[in-house]
Order: sequence, then structure tokens, then C-alpha cells
Amino acid sequence: MAVATPHSIERSSVIISVFSTTPGIGKTITAINLAAGLAHEGYKVCLADLDLQFGDVLNYLKLTSTNTVAGAQRALLDHPDKFHVRDFLIDYKHEGLTFSILPAPLYVYDAYQTDVQLVTDIICELNFYDYVILDLNSMFSALNLAMLDISTVINYIGVIDFLPALKNYKIGYDTLIRFEYEESKIRLVENRADSQKLIRGEDVEKLLGEPFYHRLPNDYPSVNKSINSGQPLMFAAPDSKLTKSFTELVGLYSNHNTQVAPELAAETSGGGFFSKVKGWFGF
Amino acid sequence: MAYRVIVIEDDQNTLDDIVAMLRRSPDFTVSATYKSAHAAINPAAMFHPDLFLANIEDEETLNMMPDFVDKFPGAYMLGTMSQWDPLAAQKAMEGGATGCILKPFTAKEILEYLQLYSARGQRKPPKLISFFSPKGRAGRTTLAAILALLIAEKTGERVALIDADLQFGDLPIFFDLEPNRTVVDATQDIKLLTPVSFAPYFYPIKDGVSLLSSPDRPEYAELVAPESLTEVVMMAGNIFRYVLVDLPSGFNPVTLNICRISNVVFVTTMINSGFEVKHAKKAMEMFEQQDDGRRKVYTVFTRVNPFTEENRQKIADQLSYPVDVMIPNEYKMISVANSGRLAKGLPMDTLLMKTISDMADKIIASGR
Repeated sequence: MAVATPHSIERSSVIISVFSTTPGIGKTITAINLAAGLAHEGYKVCLADLDLQFGDVLNYLKLTSTNTVAGAQRALLDHPDKFHVRDFLIDYKHEGLTFSILPAPLYVYDAYQTDVQLVTDIICELNFYDYVILDLNSMFSALNLAMLDISTVINYIGVIDFLPALKNYKIGYDTLIRFEYEESKIRLVENRADSQKLIRGEDVEKLLGEPFYHRLPNDYPSVNKSINSGQPLMFAAPDSKLTKSFTELVGLYSNHNTQVAPELAAETSGGGFFSKVKGWFGF
Repeated sequence: MAYRVIVIEDDQNTLDDIVAMLRRSPDFTVSATYKSAHAAINPAAMFHPDLFLANIEDEETLNMMPDFVDKFPGAYMLGTMSQWDPLAAQKAMEGGATGCILKPFTAKEILEYLQLYSARGQRKPPKLISFFSPKGRAGRTTLAAILALLIAEKTGERVALIDADLQFGDLPIFFDLEPNRTVVDATQDIKLLTPVSFAPYFYPIKDGVSLLSSPDRPEYAELVAPESLTEVVMMAGNIFRYVLVDLPSGFNPVTLNICRISNVVFVTTMINSGFEVKHAKKAMEMFEQQDDGRRKVYTVFTRVNPFTEENRQKIADQLSYPVDVMIPNEYKMISVANSGRLAKGLPMDTLLMKTISDMADKIIASGR
């Protein structure tokens, strides 16, 4: 298949994938607020909605666009020499803050037609951004594995309020480890960490054998305000505890935090699990 | 008393083998043998047969199944075949056959099949019902599990729950099971399985309800060929009168394949942010594109609040499709599912259970 770029690209951007193994636990909210927070720190940021069938990034920001991953894929296939990923992005702008968005396809059928290699190439074309945030869906699909492979860090998020959710979080983590992603690449983030629940965070850490990298508090009203106004939390609920917690998480991921910076800036190999096993997985 | 058997078989050697085998068994007497269904249909009545063994690899015999069922309503009709053919087995059941049996078979095996097929329930084709949700977190699995329990209780017929959410299936945890055999094993073995050897892959959950579990590692999902899973679901229909399949979220080869062979698909949605209605609409449009008139796709909204007709209309307006089923919230459900007590601890006297019970009644009354 004709592709515009070789797979082993020289990358300057930090790719953060927002991943979970349970749906509906705050991936999109996290992705949007990471993008907004990093943009607020002055970085060039692009947020890619890779929940291709049922992505919510545009919904949550009250934006519409006919620019999508599907369009980008078609263009890359038809005219690889003239392909510019910029033509398929839209900008979120508010009070001087800007970040770009690569929207999910408008139709399920288009989403169904996407090709893992082409989407990977499109994401790699975004390398002129400082940060690329990937909003994934909750499965170990061929696409998600390819994205986890090219990610600098995996923001692996969970809400541990329900036994099946705990099981899926644990299974997902064990699977990531079995897939030989370096433990330092996987950042365990607990969402709604302080809500009243039957399962304690400390017990989860014992079960996983790893501490949480960050805990986001339960703040349903602020999330509601954010979604209803179509604005990231820093605008919709500037003083909320959740907004502050996201600022902390952004600090952990941005180069402003010297402790984390060297590790994040390091080039990661493209040779993760997906690359190794795609042969016998039949992708 | 021994079964009076009529054998319809065009291959002389096979016929001789079957007759010799039946004669050695005290449980069967051979009343008559015929080379073709046409030759058998009239004279067979003279022998008051209890059991037909009819070679359905012969197209004409397969096509005449309904005529035999009409004429001999009290007799068991077993279609015989030398390789399991899911489509022939399905057609035989649609024609009213008791079921199918793989050649060569022993007298003991005939009895096993008769027992399995009698326990299944009414001698009618299976009802395949799949539970779809666009993104997940829709109450899909809980709904499928409760419906399975209610349908079995109401009909006394056998119900299968198949956990096809291959990466993150939650049904084993809902029923506190740690199965050794899963849907992955079934798909690997399916070419070698018969209804009798397939039945033990299911775990009994409660009277009449059995579970075919999801695997415990997400990467095992990759071992499942969607076509094999389709065969697994179809074979389950030979053992169970109702087959309920819990699908993974979204559209993928597994969901599309299973939905294609289903009689009914429930598109299940739970409203949280509000955009779920948009997703349900996209899913319904996709199903409409794929529609070949062979299945019904219904919309189900769970945890609907407020639980009013006005709200139903409001959702329907946004959806551009009717809201076929609306289920209220019930906080007790969370702790029930959380503690693996779904088979025992359902909050029976609640509006939630009443609504799902009505849904079960409609499923039972629908179709064949």
C-alpha cells in the first residue's frame, strides 16, 4: 500500500495516549483537559479523536467539522504526495488558548473503513506539534495497539467503583505488561478517586503492584458544566478541585516539571508489542 | 418400551450399518427402511413410528421435513448427516425436526441426543437475540443476564447466554464463575463438535440457563475467527431454544456477523452525558444500511430518568427512531452485580424487574 511516510519516523512530539479498558470513565474529558492544559503552558498541541466510531471530542467542545480522520485517510491514499495533515484539523480557540483537533469520522461506516497503517501515518504526520494527545476507545484493537506502540506515555485511566471495572483495569494492566510496554511508559491514573465506593484505591494499588501516578477527584458538577458549556474545565469551572488536579497532571506531563522531562523527551522505540506480533495476530 | 424406528437413507452401506446397530439395541426396533422420503411418507404411517432417522444430506428429505412433522406430530424426527452442516441443521429445525445427529452414531448416542433435544424446549427453531451497545457502559450485560433468567423461568425452556465480549466480558463475574472452558475453546473446536459434545462447554447458572464464558485474557480474543463464533452461536441454537449473545461494544467483524444471524438485536444505551443518544442514532443508521429484512433491531434505553412517556418522546425525537424499551434506574442492581449474586439476588419487586419481565414476555410471544 502506498504511504506518504516511512513507519520509522523521526519524531519530535510527545505522544500521550489516553486509554482505558472500561468505557465511559472519563477518557475524553481527560484528553481534552490534557490538551487544554498543555496548550495553556504554551505548547503546540493536537488532540486526535481515535474513538473512530463513537468519538465525543467534538461533542464535548460543542464543535462541528467535516474535517475528519476519514477525510485525511482518503487524501493520503489518493494523493500521498500532496497530503498535508493540517488540511484535516480544526482549531479549538477560547480566550487566547488554542489547540488543534483531528476529529473522528462522522459516520460509523467511514470509521469501519479505516486502515491501521494509514491512521498511524497520519498521526506521525502530526510531529510538528509539541504534544499529540490520543483519545482512544476501550479495547485492545489493532489500531489502539499501534497507537500505544508509538505513544511516549500511556495515560491508563480507570474508575474503580465496580467489580467488573476493577477486573478490567487489572486485566488491562497485566495485558499491557505482557505486551512488554515498559512500566515507566504506563501511567496509572485513577478517576473519581475520592467518590464513595466499595473498593479502596490502596487495595487496587496492592492488586496491581504499582502505585497510581495520579488521582483525579470525583467532581460531577464541574464535568457537567464543562460538557454543557463546551469548554475545558479551566474555563467552565476554573476553581474546582478537578481543574486543579488536571493542572497537576499536566505539570507531570509537561517539560516544566524537570523531574519528568528527561524521561518524556527520550525517543521511544517503535518496536512495541504490536510491531512484534502483528504477524501472528493477523492484523 | 422400545422406540419404533423408521430409517430413511439412500446409501445402502450406511443403511445396513444403522439397521444392524439398531437391531443390537434393546431400546430400538426397526419398523421399516426407505431409500427416499417420498417412498416413506405414506407407508410409514402403517407402523406408528416413534422416531425417524432421516438422511438430510439428501435435499429432498430435508425439504420434506415439514410434511413428516405434519403427518407424524408425535414422532421424533432426527436428521442424520456425516458432517455437521450448520445451515442444514438450521433448515431441519425450521422444518420442525427434533434436531440433527452426526453419522455414524450408536444407540446410546441416539438416546443422548433425544434427551438433549427434549430438554431444549418446544420443537421450534431457536430465537437468537443479541445485545449491542455503541460504546459500552450501557447496562447491556446486566440486561442480557436478567432476561436469560426470566425467559428460562417463564418458559421452562433452555436458555444460553454467550459472552461474546471477548476482551472484557463481565458475565463470569456477574455469576461468580471461573470457567475452565470458554468461547475461545468452543470456536477452536467447533469443526469437531456436535451438539452433545458442545453442551459441556456451557456452565449451568440456574435452572435452564447456561453460560458460555468469555476468555480471561484480552489477547485470546484474537484467536477467535468471527465465522467460527457464528458457527458456535448457531450450534448453540440446537441445544437451547433461546440464545442470548452479549456482544462487544461498537461495530467489528464479531458484532456484524452475530447480528447478521440474529432474529432480534437490542441496541442498548444508557444516557450519561446526553451524547449517547447521538451514538445510538449512528448505530441505528448503520443497522439500517445493513438491513436485509431478516432481523428486528430495537432500541433500549436503560436507567431512564425521569421514567416518563414525555421523556421517551424527547429521546425518540433526538434519536429519529422510536424508543422501543425504556428501563428505569434501580440502585440495588449495582450491589447485586457487584457481588456475583445475579442468579440469586435480583430485586424482584421493583419497577426495573417489572419492566424487564414485560420485555421477556414480548420476546417469548414474538416470532416462532
